[in-house]
Amino acid sequence: MNLAIIGCNGMGAMHAQMATNCGLKLVACGDKRKSIAVALAKRYDADATTNCEALAMRDDVDIVGIMTPTPTHTEYVAAAAQAGKHIFCEKPFGRTVQQCREAIAAVKKAKTKLFVGHVLRFFHEFETMKAQVEGGKLGKVGFVKMYRGGIFPQGAGKWFHDYAQSGGVTFDSMIHDIDWLRYVFGDAERIFCQAIQRSKPQPLDYSMVTVRMKNGIIANIIGTWAHPAGFRVRTEICGDKGMLQFDSNEAPLSVIMRKKTGDGPTMIVPDSPVTTSPYQLEWQDFLGWIEGEHKPRVTPDDALQSVRMVSAALKSAETGRPVKL
Amino acid sequence: MAKIGIMSFAHMHAYSYAACVNALEEAELAAVWDDVQKRGRAAAGQFGTKFIKDLDAFLATDIEGVIITSENVKHRAMVEQSAKAGKWILCEKPLAPNVTDAKAIVNACKKAKVGLGTAFPCRYSPPLKAVKNQIASGRFGHLHAAACTNNGQFPGGWFAKEELAGGGATMDHTVHVADLLRWITGREFTKVYCENGTLLHKNINTDDIGSLHLEMEGGMVVSHIASWSRSDSFPTWGDVTLEIIGQKGVISVDAFDQKINVYNDDVMRAEWVNWGDNPDLALVKDFVAAVDERRAPPITGIDGLRAVEVTVAAYKSAKTGRMVKV
Repeated sequence: MNLAIIGCNGMGAMHAQMATNCGLKLVACGDKRKSIAVALAKRYDADATTNCEALAMRDDVDIVGIMTPTPTHTEYVAAAAQAGKHIFCEKPFGRTVQQCREAIAAVKKAKTKLFVGHVLRFFHEFETMKAQVEGGKLGKVGFVKMYRGGIFPQGAGKWFHDYAQSGGVTFDSMIHDIDWLRYVFGDAERIFCQAIQRSKPQPLDYSMVTVRMKNGIIANIIGTWAHPAGFRVRTEICGDKGMLQFDSNEAPLSVIMRKKTGDGPTMIVPDSPVTTSPYQLEWQDFLGWIEGEHKPRVTPDDALQSVRMVSAALKSAETGRPVKL
Repeated sequence: MAKIGIMSFAHMHAYSYAACVNALEEAELAAVWDDVQKRGRAAAGQFGTKFIKDLDAFLATDIEGVIITSENVKHRAMVEQSAKAGKWILCEKPLAPNVTDAKAIVNACKKAKVGLGTAFPCRYSPPLKAVKNQIASGRFGHLHAAACTNNGQFPGGWFAKEELAGGGATMDHTVHVADLLRWITGREFTKVYCENGTLLHKNINTDDIGSLHLEMEGGMVVSHIASWSRSDSFPTWGDVTLEIIGQKGVISVDAFDQKINVYNDDVMRAEWVNWGDNPDLALVKDFVAAVDERRAPPITGIDGLRAVEVTVAAYKSAKTGRMVKV
């Protein structure tokens, strides 16, 4: 099957690698900035264009990958669906619940398949934690604490800095944890959020959320784009029989590069290598679904629900009140 | 030589404080009183002092300062009687399970002109003192937010009985961090939202996990977890952690992370053995100095009261489902 990618910056290039690892052929690259489209297209001997809408119409394209800034996702989804293509869309699915609803309607009408990249469901460490919970190691779970983040992301054209577009750390990053929480522990009853969303003198966002699940579980999630450096993920799950903790800082590999001058601070980058990247696993899951082998691990409705939850979180942050879901 | 008495060994911290008094050259553990005779006698024996059965007789001695480590709901009566007898008082946290009792405690000591301290040993923890000093230096600039935890293993007994503790994990594990943030920032709490519940332990009538969201003067926002979430098999009793987001940087502290990992086959469980300073010792030493010089202990009854006000507002929020003014 042939793939077209819309949005060829960092995420687009990464997904190009993952999809081609799975045997797809990248035939077309679209990006509003020509140089970025051309750079990726060159590596895969594909066509490059700035007319992203036209990409989805190409007869030789079976799957469209959408890795653009969040607010543009659903328009491309609808266009690709109308052209009869299957769609892989990066998370968050859309910037509003309404956008997601409209995109789902378009996909349903076209009878194509839409997969949203909630990749945390494919991370080995998160799958292991899920197995521990489901295997009863912790007994009845009562409390979940999640933490994710580091430096403020750059992103092409600095679109992350515009909270109206990106929704900040709550919408763009914490959505990973929110989706996983729902995946493992079910639907939420209500959500409370404090998010700082500062722009001057420099962009900083730090978000603190409490979710009350329908089954009574309390979850506390911290998301940071307020750190001067680094990236860290932590998860803790507590039950009546035990608890578990994960910390990405506790990694088997640690890389520290010496600077040429020998002075100034340098960064220690922890790494946990695995044979098959979670990003490749999500492509395998999507392709298996297209081939009719199994149901997808992430449904379009899952993706909509996670947008609904982070939208509710931002509403809570704005109003200072818990928001019922 | 300051003569110190301990009133009640209901709270496990009494054992640490007793050992601290004994470790200080300038103090003497003169006597123990306890409303549970057996427990009091055993403790007196353990720490090499006498047990006095009758409270009036205990308060009639020349003991100058008392450490009150009873169940939360009994603090008020014990403080009032000790204050009347002219004793300097160090009261275990939380100062009281409600604002009325906490205010009565403060007023009783004011009226009797005795010094009242609240036992917040965290202020003496070197890692936490370092946070206070770093923030005070101004190098972090404006403070935007803080995410904190005070997790613990399940203490059981009276701690999880509403009628004796006045609340559960939210009562037990909010006040330390509330006090630390007041102390570090020099600002008061204005609002609190709280979700809590009994989710980790069976057959108790208190909450065992609380997730709080607070606001402070100047707009700083705070998340705090007050829990008894550490399983019995966890390698230590719990933690006190803070991550503070400043305009110019981030400071994170895990106050009890000065530890050695020990794996012993008799226990068959990993253990964290702490090294470094003992904050309890510094707390007791400062109290003894206050007794000796007949001055107010540095961490006051008002500090205790303010932390109680935050906790009580958290319970009100959990009950009403709204953000509540402190």
